[in-house]
Amino acid sequence: MSSALSGEQTEPRRRGKIASFFLDDHRYVLLGTSVVALVGMLLSSQPRPEMSFLAKAFTVELVMYYLLAAWLVLSAVALVFKLTHWSNYAETAPFTKPAVRRVLRYIAYVVWAITLVLIVDRVVMGVASAWSVAVTATERPGDDFLQNILWMFWVSRDTYLVGVTTTIELAVIGTVVAFFLALVLVFCRIQTIDKPDNDFIRFWKVVGSGFAKVYSTVVRGTPMMVQAMIIYYGVVGVLSGTGLTATEMNAVWSPFVAGLVTVSLNSTAYMMEVLRGGIASVDKGQAEAARSLGLSQLQTMVKVVFPQGIKYAIPGLSNELVINIKDSSVLSIISVFDLTFGARTVGGNYYQYFPAFLIAAVIYLILTMIATWLLGKFARRFDVKVETMGSTSDQPVKVEE
Amino acid sequence: MAMNTATSAEPMVRIEGLRKSFGNLEVLRDINLAVMPGEVVTIIGASGSGKSTLLRCINLLETPDAGHVWFHGADLAAEHVDVNRLREKIGMVFQGFNLFNNMNVLDNCTLAPVTLKKMKKPEAEQVAMRHLEAVGLANFAKADVNNLSGGQKQRVAIARALCMQPDLMLFDEPTSALDPEIVGEVLEVMRGLARDGMTMVVVTHEMQFAKTVSDRVVFMDKGIIAEEGSPAEIFGSPKHPRTREFLARYLDDKSDE
Repeated sequence: MSSALSGEQTEPRRRGKIASFFLDDHRYVLLGTSVVALVGMLLSSQPRPEMSFLAKAFTVELVMYYLLAAWLVLSAVALVFKLTHWSNYAETAPFTKPAVRRVLRYIAYVVWAITLVLIVDRVVMGVASAWSVAVTATERPGDDFLQNILWMFWVSRDTYLVGVTTTIELAVIGTVVAFFLALVLVFCRIQTIDKPDNDFIRFWKVVGSGFAKVYSTVVRGTPMMVQAMIIYYGVVGVLSGTGLTATEMNAVWSPFVAGLVTVSLNSTAYMMEVLRGGIASVDKGQAEAARSLGLSQLQTMVKVVFPQGIKYAIPGLSNELVINIKDSSVLSIISVFDLTFGARTVGGNYYQYFPAFLIAAVIYLILTMIATWLLGKFARRFDVKVETMGSTSDQPVKVEE
Repeated sequence: MAMNTATSAEPMVRIEGLRKSFGNLEVLRDINLAVMPGEVVTIIGASGSGKSTLLRCINLLETPDAGHVWFHGADLAAEHVDVNRLREKIGMVFQGFNLFNNMNVLDNCTLAPVTLKKMKKPEAEQVAMRHLEAVGLANFAKADVNNLSGGQKQRVAIARALCMQPDLMLFDEPTSALDPEIVGEVLEVMRGLARDGMTMVVVTHEMQFAKTVSDRVVFMDKGIIAEEGSPAEIFGSPKHPRTREFLARYLDDKSDE
């Protein structure tokens, strides 16, 4: 390597993590880039997909392959050198000189570029050709798994679309309805007897707070799947007494409506506890100050305690949307046509449940990731941090008594 | 406020046979106290002697177990009494400031007048600005309360209480949470209030303040009022042995600094 470069010493510059990764010289450039080269070589030895552009430029790929191989050889030489000069590698090895390191960095760029080209050629083009086969095929393509799964997705796209729409509707509407119900319920829950209250108000405060307590215990103590069954068939039972026909009944009380009611009522209990936690973490002095000015219990809650408590509760509340996206899947038990039900339908059509649910899983993941991202953006406007991904509703909510 | 300075025969606050326990702990045992209009009463005593609880019983932040608290002739301790109306006339300043964190300085001051006195917002803001000016914080009207220093917060808290035009101000260790060098700015505001004839009950550890500003000093010990009298009596010739002990220890501590 040329020694003309060796004179200059670049002063260390402060860079971000990603910029530093690409722009600074590294001790492990040989080791790390070898892995990249190896990936490239492995990809190159894979059969070419139909849409591969390197198929038409065989020599180019051959040259690329040997460049990668040369890098591996170079790394192997460095490794042997390291092993034989263990104690004084830093002083003796040609690989540690600043100029050589810089050249190695430039070559590493080439290795990365070659591997990227190979990734596009084999992986991206592979998916693209499988996709083009899948969307044009009139019947199930052969044994190729990728083509098969893409074909299933393409052929059943309407089913999945209906499922996704239903899931989003259930989760979004359910969460919004639950939020307002939870606001009402938590308001009942935290009522305490206040001096100016007359007996009538005292009675309703005790009833309201008791109801909220029982509601929360019952709903959080039973599975949503069971709740869905009870709500759906319970109302069906009541309606069947009215002499409605099945079609009329379905218009009033469809599985979707029942599912929406279930999600809303279920989520209400969890959101109430989240809100209660948020309200409990508001400093007691806030309420005391408001009361000392003469504000009533109600005014204190509405103007001082609730706004602060809800802010504390935002991370937990937004988590509830993510949970509802996932947990609405249990509603397929009452044949709500959500994403899970759609996947089961598709799987049943082709006797292939594994790819059908794999597709569903990917869609669920995309949905929850989008929801988390949006809620994070939303929460940042309120100056609060959010947990990254929703847990399930099975996780017990912390309750302080 | 000016009318309060006239000494009338009727006390503004009259406490009779007040008792309060937390569980097995008797915090207040048979307290009797009267505060005349325009009077500045300081309550001193060791930690845990029940000073703060007594103060909090006056506006019913603590519910007494027994006894009576009359304010302008109405018994606060009676069942179903509209404490909210009475509290409008009793301002309170807390050790921990307790400014509303979800509002700016001005909104802290206007919340109660707008909500309770049905005052129009601009009018309430005018009143608030006057009080903020008086405590030297007019420039901070639009500031977020979380960005203020402790002394500034406490002065806002005083202004907030004054916006309701109270007849009585309760101060619960208003300077205990402050750094020594900014205690003065809060005490200065309180001195000004006392000069203007505000009726004040102050729980404090600032003996100098108690000595120079108050009309009457109350010494509490283990839930009872052990001794009360003019500052000259209490600080000059305390009669009760516990008072002597407390003041001696207090002045010792102070001279160490």
